Amino acid sequence: MLQYVIAGLVLGGIYAIASAGLVITYVSSGILNFAFGALAFFVARFYYYLHVQQSWGIVPAAVVSIVLVSPAIGVFLYFALFRFLRLSSPLIKVVATLGLLVAIPAIATLIFGSQAILKAPGLAPEPVRVFVFLGVPVTMDQIIVYVCVAATVVLGASVLRYTDVGLKVRAMVDSPAKTALSGTSANAVSVGVWAVSTFFAGLAGVLAAPIIGLSAGNFTLLIAAAFAAVVAAKLRSLPIAVGVGLAMGVVTSLIQRYLPPASSWTTEIIDAVPFMFIAVFLVYNLVRGGRVSETERVGGALDLAIIPQGGSRLAGSTAGALESGSVGLIGKYAGPLALMAAAFGLPMLVQGFWVGLLAQAFAYGIIFLSFTLVTGEGGMIWLCQITFAGVGALTASQLATNHGWPVLVAIVAGGLVALPMGLIIGFLTIRLGDLYVALVTLAFGLLMENLVFTMGIFQNQGLGVNMARPGFAASDLGFAYLCLVAFVIAALFIFNLRRSTTGLALNAVRWSEPGARTLGISVVQMKIIVAGLGALVAGIGGGFLVAAQTSAQPGNFATFLGVVWLVVLVTVGVRSNVAALVAGLLFVMLPALALAYLPNWTAEILPVFFGLGAITAAKFPDGTLARGGQLFRRWLLRVANRRRPRLPGEPAAAGGVRVAAQGGTGDATPVVEEVSS
Amino acid sequence: MSTFPAPSGTPADIGEHAHDPVVPVRPVLAATGVTVRFGGLVALSDVGLEVPPGAIVGLVGPNGAGKSTLFAVLSGLLHPAAGRVDLCGEDVTHASPQLRARKGLARTFQQPELFMGLTVREHLVLADRIRFARRRLWSDMLSPRSLLASSRSENERVDALLELLNLTRVAQATVAALPLGTSRLVEIARALATRPDVVLLDEPLSGLDMRESEDVASAFRRVVDNDEHRVSLLMVEHDVATVLSLSSRIFVLDFGQLIASGTPAEIHGNTVVRSAYLGDEGSPPAAGAQVNR
Amino acid sequence: MTELLLRVDSLDVRYGLFQALFAVSLEVEQGSVTAVLGANGAGKSTLARTVSGLVPAAGGRVLFDGVAINGWPIHRIRKLGLAYIPEGRGIFPGLSVIDNLRMAVGQENRSERAAAIDRSIELFPVLGERRMQRAGSLSGGEQQMLALAGTLAVPPRLIIADEMSLGLAPMVAETVFQSLDAARQSGITIVLIEQFVHRALSLADHCVILRRGRVGWSGPAHEARQEVLDRYLGEAEQATAAVE
Repeated sequence: MLQYVIAGLVLGGIYAIASAGLVITYVSSGILNFAFGALAFFVARFYYYLHVQQSWGIVPAAVVSIVLVSPAIGVFLYFALFRFLRLSSPLIKVVATLGLLVAIPAIATLIFGSQAILKAPGLAPEPVRVFVFLGVPVTMDQIIVYVCVAATVVLGASVLRYTDVGLKVRAMVDSPAKTALSGTSANAVSVGVWAVSTFFAGLAGVLAAPIIGLSAGNFTLLIAAAFAAVVAAKLRSLPIAVGVGLAMGVVTSLIQRYLPPASSWTTEIIDAVPFMFIAVFLVYNLVRGGRVSETERVGGALDLAIIPQGGSRLAGSTAGALESGSVGLIGKYAGPLALMAAAFGLPMLVQGFWVGLLAQAFAYGIIFLSFTLVTGEGGMIWLCQITFAGVGALTASQLATNHGWPVLVAIVAGGLVALPMGLIIGFLTIRLGDLYVALVTLAFGLLMENLVFTMGIFQNQGLGVNMARPGFAASDLGFAYLCLVAFVIAALFIFNLRRSTTGLALNAVRWSEPGARTLGISVVQMKIIVAGLGALVAGIGGGFLVAAQTSAQPGNFATFLGVVWLVVLVTVGVRSNVAALVAGLLFVMLPALALAYLPNWTAEILPVFFGLGAITAAKFPDGTLARGGQLFRRWLLRVANRRRPRLPGEPAAAGGVRVAAQGGTGDATPVVEEVSS
Repeated sequence: MSTFPAPSGTPADIGEHAHDPVVPVRPVLAATGVTVRFGGLVALSDVGLEVPPGAIVGLVGPNGAGKSTLFAVLSGLLHPAAGRVDLCGEDVTHASPQLRARKGLARTFQQPELFMGLTVREHLVLADRIRFARRRLWSDMLSPRSLLASSRSENERVDALLELLNLTRVAQATVAALPLGTSRLVEIARALATRPDVVLLDEPLSGLDMRESEDVASAFRRVVDNDEHRVSLLMVEHDVATVLSLSSRIFVLDFGQLIASGTPAEIHGNTVVRSAYLGDEGSPPAAGAQVNR
Repeated sequence: MTELLLRVDSLDVRYGLFQALFAVSLEVEQGSVTAVLGANGAGKSTLARTVSGLVPAAGGRVLFDGVAINGWPIHRIRKLGLAYIPEGRGIFPGLSVIDNLRMAVGQENRSERAAAIDRSIELFPVLGERRMQRAGSLSGGEQQMLALAGTLAVPPRLIIADEMSLGLAPMVAETVFQSLDAARQSGITIVLIEQFVHRALSLADHCVILRRGRVGWSGPAHEARQEVLDRYLGEAEQATAAVE
């Protein structure tokens, strides 16, 4: 038993270091760094490169990668990105770090190559010595982990409590505004905190690599565990995060002791431990009642008071909402209609396997519409839409192939199975703040991916389950058009919803819950409707997707992939139906085009572009498509308004208000300026 | 040292109907003996007020006097330790804000809580439908009804409200770009669309410049004078001067107690009120500074 | 003829879409006490926050000792000698008393710091008794003492005190005002933002009244009292007009 506890402390120690890194940047800058795992992976990969591939000694490789490069990355990221996010909405903060999560592994692949690494050494010299402690064998690697954890805890606590630097950090956590008023540069403290955080990421990565393997996917799971510890600490308490991290490691290890080792259930349950922690935390708080909300903003009343208009709300900025003036119906819908017309023409223009790809692209469009609904209309950050798509897809394939149901009925049934899941998650997350919702949905996705999607009945020994197409649309061309028609139906439904009374009420709940309540609208009901509809659309989209692919592969519905989807969609535009279609096209066609016509490595860069695209969403929250449309409409307005005299009180023609960051000083406070035409 | 009746927990005579030979009209909103404690601190002590139908009533007092607390009790966000709140004669002391909304109590917010993605008109349409066609909240999802033109009665009601509050010109504008004064008017219009009996206004004039606050103030007068709506306004405000010029009745709080209530002229000359604002400990006013200076 | 330590020139400040200050100008002479009065929401705190750098100005200038400090980062403004004690207590509630003082002297040389902290505790002995106590658990008056102590530990040239008497019992508020007076006597210029007029006017040389984001009146403190009444409660004619 002791053996398992000691072994558990290794993984637990790594969780503890990771959660410490996550908490410190959250409490000091309000950003939960979803890319923490990717950073850990990058540094681990770099260490491997130096130590194994370039044959550097352990100490120099470790010093350069962990002590020099890791903090440097943190400093770079702060100046390039994080300092502009301080006053952004929660969605933007999440999406920006998700963008990094997508981009960084791709950058690592670009720099270091993509060959699989079977075994990565740790910090202990090889051959690894084994000691015996209290009758339990302990490797040098493990001892190094214990030492690191102990040093982190002891040094960290001492620095915070006794040094001036630590004092300034604690003051920053209390109130950045008052810190600056005492003469300390808040910016300087922030840089330091980020450097320390990425240092922890690098350390955790190098320590974890020998244990969990050096691949980006495994690191996502590692960080999910760290998130569980952070959630248990209510995103604020360093001691609790560290303690829960250690506990999780020990529990995982003990489970291994008490469950039969050969059972497939065991691995799954082990993977599920972090989510069980999150679930327990969730239930505990639901039972206690009251709202579980992260403090979106750091600091106290003063910090709140100096934010213009209390900060911006979720996706779909004010910028997009501000375009007024009459361009007429044609002007407003010209772009989308043109794009739809082009989409209908596409299948006729291409040949061969490209048509099949188009079918997939259209199916993705349907799935992406669920994001448009949930995140764009509902303003909720859900990272498990892909899971609903997977549920729909796997259900449809089971029903159609193994039970002989007609294909279209099976697809709809798949959506109907996903629907109640959406409703339940919607209900469970109703009182959670935005960040908690993102974490919980991410955890749910990972849970489903590891517990349900891995079941034999779906995996079919790695082959997946066949999925036929309906008889009347069995060809690629026919099915492509069927998918497109399904997309149009879904898009029209959403279009109608937006303009309906329901849509108005949804909008009300999304932009101002207090305002909606004064009208007597039930916030709970509205949010659950959106959640359910989103799951339904995603499920049906998933069914169409696997029919387009003619095979239902559970691996295609990995949660990380869902993050990539969200990132792509936000880049293109999360509030417009047509953007969902364009995003689907981009997602499928770009990599295929790159593989077909460009050197292989260009396909690797694509995630980087999408990742960077998500980051620029901070500047254009409505996405590039909307931005393009915005510019076009502005030009149209200018032309139209040149002849019409402006009515008094009407906002400046083609105006709109831009949120600009006041650069240069560093303690940037966004100023809302009026842009005259 | 005041010559007026000492204020107590029971409200003073009701406004302009005080001299009618008939029975006094029932107030649309009344608080009686409200006491609120936060731990050991007494935020409100035995406070009462009344809002007559079709009137503008002001609630003023220095910072920390308990205005926001009383507002919270009236709107339903806070339940008092003692006392009651009556809405049109019905006890709503422990009713939720949503329930009070259904019974005719609307409110606005200091930072306008508007729906950024909607136009001004859409705000009113939404409120109107919730009041007159609530089922559409659900049924609309499944029918293309919303793509067709709105009913004539809905259009008439909404257009009339837009006209009343001078919002017709900006009816199609998305609210995100509107100046603060206009945003406040939109909030009030939205509240009125639900046909309430009384609207609680939370510092409606704060942050407005002279011109805007004039626009808003005159909108208030029009609303209350409009026979079709028969609505009362209760305004919590810091700008005492404007409140005095707008209201027919004013209640003054200080340190959690009602220190004065009466007509604007009575309040203006009230020495207790003056010392409360100046921070004197009840000292008599300087020589010559009487009401009709 | 004393020089102007602080000059605000036609300051416009916006919070998002709403304008908080319209072309506000004021002048503060070296060594004087200026009271900035006005109802809640008139713009007093906004003025203070803009001058101290917390909030950017949309137009106009702020000159401190002749130097234009628009757009300067907050900590640089403090280092120049302009200290702001914000409303709601300018302390770190999560830190201990001694940590609060350490933060206040953080920019001094190491050798100076201990001496500076000792000086503060001399000024306010009650803080010495409560060194390790969490600042958030101090009484209101003690918190204000701490805020003042911290500010005076590294004597600034100008202190903007934002509603320091708010929520304090009269006797405690009195101590605060006396400390401010003592600070003035040691040569520090004071700008006093208060909602309660009486005590502020007795301390001040000069007075500025803000109403709805504009300067309603400015002049010597001893002439201010009636002006305040008019601004706060309005003209008598206005009041009588409301009753038909």
